[in-house]
Parts: sequence; C-alpha cells; structure tokens
Amino acid sequence: MKAGVVALLAAVLAACAPVPSAAPPIGGGSAVLPRPADVVELTTPFSPPAVAPASCDPRASLRPTGPLPAPGMMPAGSTMARIQQRGRLIAGVDQNSFQMGFRNPFSGELEGFDVDMVREVARAVFGDPNAIQYKVLTSEQRIPALEDREVDIVVRTMTVTCERWQRVNFSTIYYQAGQRVLVRSNSDVTGIESLGGKRVCATKGSSSLANVAAAPVRPVAVSVSHWTDCLVLLQQGQVDAISTDDTILAGFAAQDPYTKIVGPKFTDEPYGMAIPKADEDFVRFVNALLERLRADGTWTRLHQRWLGPPPVPPVAVYRD
Amino acid sequence: MLVEAQRNRGPVRRVTGLARSTPGRLSLLALLLIAVSLLAGAATAVSVQRRSDALEALADRNEPLAFAAQEVYRAMADADAAAASAFLSGGVESTALRRRYEADVAKAAAALSAATSGITRSPELVEALATLSGQLPVYTGLVETARAHNRQGNPVGAAYLREASTLMRTQLLPAARELYEVETRNVVRDLEDAGSLPWLELLLGALVLFVLVLTQRYLTRRTNRVFNLGLVVATALTVISLLWVLAASLLVVHQASQSKNEATLVDLLARARIATLTARGDETLTLVARGSGAEYEQNYVDADRNLADLLGRARALNGTPPVVGAMDHHRRWQEAHRRIRAADDEGDFTAAVDLALGPAGAGATTAFDALDSDLVDAIGAARAELTEAIGRARAALGGTVPLVVVLALLAPAAGAYGLWQRLKEYW
Repeated sequence: MKAGVVALLAAVLAACAPVPSAAPPIGGGSAVLPRPADVVELTTPFSPPAVAPASCDPRASLRPTGPLPAPGMMPAGSTMARIQQRGRLIAGVDQNSFQMGFRNPFSGELEGFDVDMVREVARAVFGDPNAIQYKVLTSEQRIPALEDREVDIVVRTMTVTCERWQRVNFSTIYYQAGQRVLVRSNSDVTGIESLGGKRVCATKGSSSLANVAAAPVRPVAVSVSHWTDCLVLLQQGQVDAISTDDTILAGFAAQDPYTKIVGPKFTDEPYGMAIPKADEDFVRFVNALLERLRADGTWTRLHQRWLGPPPVPPVAVYRD
Repeated sequence: MLVEAQRNRGPVRRVTGLARSTPGRLSLLALLLIAVSLLAGAATAVSVQRRSDALEALADRNEPLAFAAQEVYRAMADADAAAASAFLSGGVESTALRRRYEADVAKAAAALSAATSGITRSPELVEALATLSGQLPVYTGLVETARAHNRQGNPVGAAYLREASTLMRTQLLPAARELYEVETRNVVRDLEDAGSLPWLELLLGALVLFVLVLTQRYLTRRTNRVFNLGLVVATALTVISLLWVLAASLLVVHQASQSKNEATLVDLLARARIATLTARGDETLTLVARGSGAEYEQNYVDADRNLADLLGRARALNGTPPVVGAMDHHRRWQEAHRRIRAADDEGDFTAAVDLALGPAGAGATTAFDALDSDLVDAIGAARAELTEAIGRARAALGGTVPLVVVLALLAPAAGAYGLWQRLKEYW
C-alpha cells in the first residue's frame, strides 16, 4: 500500500517535469575596470622615425642679441611687441605634473616650476607676472599648438631633441632631467632593465614613451593623455610601472607614499622652452632672460621652492 | 465498392434533402446565427479585453518604467555635471553641489532598481541594465577617490575625476540612453496598439448583422410576414453591441492619440532636460580643460543646438507656460555662455569661472537652474496629462466586456426563439 502511494507520488512528480525559466541570466558577473580616456596599449614594436634627424647639438640655442629691453618697452616690430600689444602672453603648460605644472586643488590656480618660469617671461615682457593666458596642453598637443601659433611659448617639461628642433625652436636648457622608473613600494623592479614584458605607462607624444617603447628589454608601453592618468593606472594595478623624467616621477611619489623611484637615470632629458619656428627674436629674448635668472639667483630660488635643494643651473650653450 | 457507395447514398440524400426543405433551411440558419453570433461575441470580448489589458499594462507598468528609465538617464547626466562643477569651483566643494550629486546618485540607484523590475519583459536590455547597475558603484568609487585626493591637494584627484567622467560618458550614459529609448518606444508602441481602430470587432459585428438580415429576408419571402419579433430583437441587440464597441473604441482611439501626443511631449521635454545637463557638463569641462577644451566646447555647441531644436518642437506641440519659460531661460543661458567663452578666450579665466559658477543673476548658473526647473514643471504637467489620458481611455472600455458578452448571448437566443416560432409551424 505504502509502496503504491510512493510509486504514485513518484509518477506524479515525474510527470511534473521542470519547465525551465525564460528569465534572462544575471549579467555583469565579471568586473570591468574603469580606464582613463584614450588609453592605448602599444602592441606593435616601436619604430624610430624613418628619417634620422640631422645630427645636431639639441642643447645649442640662439645667442641673445643684447641685454633685455625694459618691461613694457619691447622693440617695435618684434614678436615681443606683438605680445605686448595683445596684453597677455599665451603659454602652453601642464596641469597634471605635480611641482612642475599642476592645478592646485584648493585654489584652482596653476602652479609649479614650469608655471613660475612662464611668469618670469610675462614679467620680462609686461612687468606683470600675471599677464598670462594659460592653455593646458597634453604632450602630443605641444608641437601642433606652436605650429598653429595658438600659443606664444610652451613651458611643459619638454625635452629638446634634434627631431623637435626641425619643427620648433627651443630656448637654452632651463632644467636637466633624466628618465627613471616609478613602481609600487613593494615591487622588486630595480630599473628599466627589469621591466621586460611588464606594462609601463607614459603619455602620448612624449619622449618618455619613445624611450620606453625602444627599451631593449621590450616592456609593453601603455600611453595615456595626461601624466596623472599614469598614476591612476598604477594605483589601480593596471600598469606595473611608470617611466618618465625624474621630475614628474618625484611629483607622483609626493602624491602616493606607496611608490618608489628606482634605477639610475637612463636617458638625458634637457628641458627647453619651445617657441614657434619663426619667432627667433623671441628665442633670443627668452635666452637673455634665462641668463639673468641663472645669474641673479631666481632660478635657484624657484628650484628650491618646487623641486628641493638646487644644483648648479644648466649651462647655456649657443649655436649663434 | 459499388455496393458500399449505393448504401452510403441514403443518408447523404436524406441530409441534402433536409437542407433543401424550408424547415431544414430554417434550422440551419438558426444554427448559423447562433454560431456566428457566439463566435463574434467571444472574439470581440477577447479583443476588447486584450486592449483593456494593454492599457492597464501601459498605465501600471510601461509608462512608470519609461519614467524610471528617464530618471536614471537624467540623474546620471546630472551627477556628472555636478561633479565637474564641484571640481571646477576648487577648494572644498560647495555643500549645495555635493548635495545635488548625492541626490542624483540616490535617485539613479532607486530608479534603476525600478527599471530593472521590467527586465524579464525586455530581454534586450539585460546588457544595458547590467552595465548600469555594475558600473554605477564603480563611478561613485572613482568620484570619492578623486575627492579624497583633492582634499589632500594631490592633482591626481583631477585624473580620477576625468576617469569617472569618461566611465560615465562612454558606458553609463549610453546604457541609460538605450534603456530610456527602449522603454519610451514601448510606451509609444502600446499607445499605437491601443489606438488602432478595432477592424476585427467591427467586421465580426457586421457579419452577425449580415446573417440576421439574410435570415429575415428569407423568412419574409417564405412566410410573407415582414417582421419576426425574435430576429428584430436580435438585430437590435447586435446593433447596440456594435455601436457600443464602436463608440468605446473611437473614444479609446481619441484618448490614445492624445496620449501619444503627450507621450511625445514628455519624450521631447525629457530629452531637452538631458541635453541641458549634457550642455552644462560640457560648459564646465571646457573650463576645467583650461584652454584645451575645444572638444568639450564642440560638444556643448551640439548639445545646445539639440536643446534648441527639442524646445522648439515641444513648443510647437504644446506651448505651455513652462515650455515658453524654458525657451526664454535657454536664450539667457546662451548669452551667459557667450560671455563665458569671450572671457575665457581673452585669457580672463577667473571671470569666466565666476560667470559659469557664480551666483550672479546674469551668470550661467541662474539661467541653467531656471531652465532646469521649467523643464521639471513641464515634464510633470505633460506626464500628468499622459497618465490621465490613459486613464480616460481605460474608463471608456470599462464595462464593455460584460456588455458584449451578455449581448452576444442574448442576441442568438432571441434569434433562435424567433426562428423557433416559424419552425414550430412545420411540426
């Protein structure tokens, strides 16, 4: 009897074959990491520019023609007179490189060593260090902005190279940087040589990116638009290291105590202020200004303010 | 074979013979009348019921879902604009902007959970909803990280905010737009379904009438009696049912087309509000980019043109005072924007930021806030109209189904009774 009931129940249950639900499955099971805009992983090996630039001394700039004219008294017909006429200097800077050119989050103002250099140029032209219209540029926007004459001058951690000399003019060297590597403080990376196959971040159009991509150990170069995007990627564990000029890396380390700068400088990155190719008079003017800043201690003071104990200022080299 | 065919001829001939005789034909007509009338009644009842169900689903589910989707979209666009403004204002962000951002996130999450309840109905939205609910916490996480860095004076905070904004603009907002578009399309489709003329019902009613008329003509010819009470009553009942269905349907069609106008207005206004928020975000980000915001400015110009177009169309459709006010405030904002751009392009960044964020009456903030609140009012009014029109359409169908059923039972009964009176005479 009982067996019969059980058998009957079993039969009934068997008849009630489960009907699968038509409800869609729950999506989003795997996390998708957010990424900064325009992140590109360079998968193809880096190829150096097809036409090798004519050998030159990138540090050599144009010699000043004489002492600086008094502020507000620019020689007629010169580039400086045109700028003075306009009433403001249009300067390309960065707002993402801590201590060099960055936006102070409290005041919203742009500050840093590069920005103070621009202010010195404005002071020399107008007698007023605030007569500046800033244009924030990414690394790759620098040369086009100069070629299109959107800016009078670019002071933005820009390395002078023979290749760039073909498209723009540079002042004498106002800062001597060198490329190094920044990693998380618990990383055992010791320099660029131990980054083979690792993901290394730098900005598009920077010489740092070219150096990373050209490194013999073949790191995977990851390019972004702004330098701070690299720090975001490092903090989110999306890259293993950042490699660029020690100045910029020092700015990162100051923002994140869980990072360290490792390895020696493996490149020379002399910074110059970039000026449109046609404005040679302005280059000579800026070089005269730099002579004065080196001589009167302004350079040393600004270095102390932003970048710590100052070394001897870079020596000016001229090609006449 | 032959023998079998011979044997089968008997019943066949008997049936065809019966069909040729008058009582046989009367019986057949009675059967036909009952069948056609019952079938037509059932089909009409089902069809009207379906229409009523569709309206109910529209009022209770699809329209609220579309509104939830609109809120998700709106709140997310607003959160992005508020976060950018808070950043641009510098220092510790203003309490008002922070509150606005927090309210947006809360609203987006709540509206999203409402929108997700419709997921089984629109399986094509699974991906969009997964993106929205999966990435919203990521977005808020990035914004809070940016905040923490800003508080410590680290410029990397700006990079986190950029990343958050990129996530919003490349993932969340497109998913929210898809959700909104699908849900809005559903509402319009429901309204179109409800607002189509009931051809099937009318055709079936006409068929029943046709059979009734045919029967009566046949009877008149056979019996020389002009009227048959049962059939006249059946005809009258059928005509009543037909007219009732026709009248109710025409009312529904009218209300549905009005609802469709209101739904279009709600859609135009909702998109105008989102364009407003997008333009505001782009205006702010142009300033945040500090001289290299040409891309954002172009986005602003696009959003602004879109906004002008949407407002123009909304006004053409229904120029209520809030819509007119919105157009006025939009013009004022455009003026303020021109002054912001002029100041920024001439290098007066501080003045540009003051114009964009400051409380001055002629600044962009005042015009933007007024425009936004006009749009809120206009959307609220249009949506109330929409739900009311749907309600009126539902009311028009109320009671139709029982009436159709009762009449569909009574009409064949009366008709059969009338025919029975004649059939009896052959007994």
